[in-house]
Amino acid sequence: MDDRVVEFIRGLRAAGVRVSLAESMDAMRAMEILGISNKTLFRESLRATLIKGSDDFAPFDELFPLYFSSGGPMMQNALDDLSPDEQQMLQAALQALSGRLQQLMEWLTSGQGPTKEELEDLAQRAGADWAEDQQQSRWVTRRMLQQMGFSHLEQQMQELLQKLQEMGMSQQAIDKLMGVVEANREALAEQVAQQIGLQIAQQRANRPDDLYGSDLMYKPFHALSPAEVDILRKEIQRLVTQLRSRAALRRKRGKHGKFDAKSTIRANQRYGGVPMEIKHKKRKLKPSLVLLCDVSRSTENVVEFMLHLTHELHDQVSRMKSFAFYDRLVEIPDEVMNYIRHDDADKAFDIIRNMLPYRPYGTDLGGCLETFCDKHMGTINGRTTLIILGDGRNNFNSPRIDLVKELQQRARKLVWFNPEQPREWGTGDSDMLEYRANCDEVFSVRNLAQLSAAVDKLLSS
Amino acid sequence: MFKNIADVHQRLGSQQYIASDEISTVVYLAQSLCKPILAEGPAGVGKTELAKVWAKAIGAPLVRLQCYEGLDESKALYEWEYAKQMLYTQLLRDTLHNILGDVTSLADAANRLAQEDDVFFSDNFLLPRPLLTALTSDEPVVLLIDEIDRADVEFEAFLLEVLSDFQVTVPELGTITAKHQPMVLLTSNNTRELSEALKRRCLYLYVDYPALDDELNIVRLKVPDLRPELAHQAVAVVQQLRNMDLRKVPSISETLDWARALVTLNAKEIDEKTLGNTLTVLLKYESDVAKARRMMGDGGSSRGRHNR
Repeated sequence: MDDRVVEFIRGLRAAGVRVSLAESMDAMRAMEILGISNKTLFRESLRATLIKGSDDFAPFDELFPLYFSSGGPMMQNALDDLSPDEQQMLQAALQALSGRLQQLMEWLTSGQGPTKEELEDLAQRAGADWAEDQQQSRWVTRRMLQQMGFSHLEQQMQELLQKLQEMGMSQQAIDKLMGVVEANREALAEQVAQQIGLQIAQQRANRPDDLYGSDLMYKPFHALSPAEVDILRKEIQRLVTQLRSRAALRRKRGKHGKFDAKSTIRANQRYGGVPMEIKHKKRKLKPSLVLLCDVSRSTENVVEFMLHLTHELHDQVSRMKSFAFYDRLVEIPDEVMNYIRHDDADKAFDIIRNMLPYRPYGTDLGGCLETFCDKHMGTINGRTTLIILGDGRNNFNSPRIDLVKELQQRARKLVWFNPEQPREWGTGDSDMLEYRANCDEVFSVRNLAQLSAAVDKLLSS
Repeated sequence: MFKNIADVHQRLGSQQYIASDEISTVVYLAQSLCKPILAEGPAGVGKTELAKVWAKAIGAPLVRLQCYEGLDESKALYEWEYAKQMLYTQLLRDTLHNILGDVTSLADAANRLAQEDDVFFSDNFLLPRPLLTALTSDEPVVLLIDEIDRADVEFEAFLLEVLSDFQVTVPELGTITAKHQPMVLLTSNNTRELSEALKRRCLYLYVDYPALDDELNIVRLKVPDLRPELAHQAVAVVQQLRNMDLRKVPSISETLDWARALVTLNAKEIDEKTLGNTLTVLLKYESDVAKARRMMGDGGSSRGRHNR
């Protein structure tokens, strides 16, 4: 039984539930205390120890019956209720049935379903080996039932009915027989569905998990497949929680500000004016951010993650404004941020692309900086951190280094996030080296790990 | 202490709390595994109430720590009473002469004083807050940490230390270890994501709105004066309201308030008029009330009656 639970936990992990070793041990101890004879209790004990959020109830509810049931409801034997004569009639009628449905009809009437080997064989032929998730399992189940002949069953039943009537079986016995066969049909379908579901869950648990874990964090943004992007989107939430608690702790433990005479006197009034508690002025540490994002095709992924991260961390930032640029510069509307927060980046980028239609060799960073300085200079003051996210490739347009210099002087800090490797900077149409000379800090953010480290650094200063 | 799950159910029941199988199982497991429970769910489904009846059922005192933004260690754990300490020192000044009366050198005086150290640093000046109260109690207690999601992230981290070792360090006195491990219930309304580390240490309990039959039982238990048919009708209305898209759906406590209101008003049945008059007990937003009236199909008429 312990092995089964361990397998079940592997299945849960493969379905995206985070289960730690400590939690697995809790589950085992709970099992020892409550026993396994009562299925509801057993289920509750596993759920209370393994599942730690209402989002994870769905995979649990889906997988539990697959791992901990005896392969579906039992089938009954229809022959038990029949007299020897009637049994012979049934045998004869079954013999007369045509072809491949004979096997199915025999399973249904005798209550002896297919053996485990037969089921596995059938599953393989239905393509269960290639199925990846529980949605596909429904499809494989349907295919498998079809192969077993379920689609022609109705017709076959009618034929059998007719034959039995011709042979003179009593109506009562026929009704009874049909009832049992009908029940068996449902039971068999259920057994098949469970068999397939379990097989697929196990396959998923046994697959080398190249897609999961922290490896993806280190994969360059441009090399991510859509499926991998999806997985990373789920990771964002965890990443945000980590970054947030780090930032909050840092703010708490960080050096306090100047001595605050006024509030110290006030706080120590109750000690008769003896300064027992020293109060300090709180330094305002939350940064205010202005974000300029290059939204050409090559940087879409990194822009999405950047916007997502910064938006989720809004409580750690005092003010934030974001702009998108390509050939022109526009402010990113709230609507887009909403889509990004709900993992619907495609819609978000549709809106941005509508505002900034694609043009070959369209990127004009210099021009966009000019627009920004003309129209939005008011957003930059001595407390603002200005972040430019882009590859610094300017299609040989004027880089407008003078504007970058001006912005750097005006803002508290000018930070550049570049999704390219440092050795690519300055090659071809990249003006990165010149820009770099005028930035306070430059980060290469090729993957999510680098991006989150850079954001962390940003929040800490 | 509970003997088994049926015992949990029965003893919580005797405190007028109807525990689902899930709740009884988790409470029993928490006691046997010595683990805190993290209860999540919408507001007003009886999460806090569970801690109260748990304490009553096993006859243990309840210690409650209400979390809020800005709650820090000193408010949750202990405070050092400098004022009292100073007062003591000043009052004891005269007595000090007796102790130090015959010493001649400064070193001797310091040694004498060191022997009396305990007077100046003792439990007397320690003002225990809920967490310390729970840890130092002579009998097992139920510790309720209410609405943990409202506390700051750094407080959560501090709480982790307490919950994993059940000991705390007080700089003035040293490390204090719990005499009895308290039974801990944390509640959260899910306004923010809690840290994984905290969740890992707890058993998880999701408390949802009860089904019709369970809620009816609760109403019957808590408001026995309400006539059965009326109770059934009332609970059905509440269940219907919960399925609507409202800003705030009625909780169990609001159902009970409503049931009591119906008893007080001596209502014979739930007709348009009674409903119109008492709907504000259930719904707390004007827009919700309007929506519910439209839904119940008596929007215009009941309002018209009010105006007359």
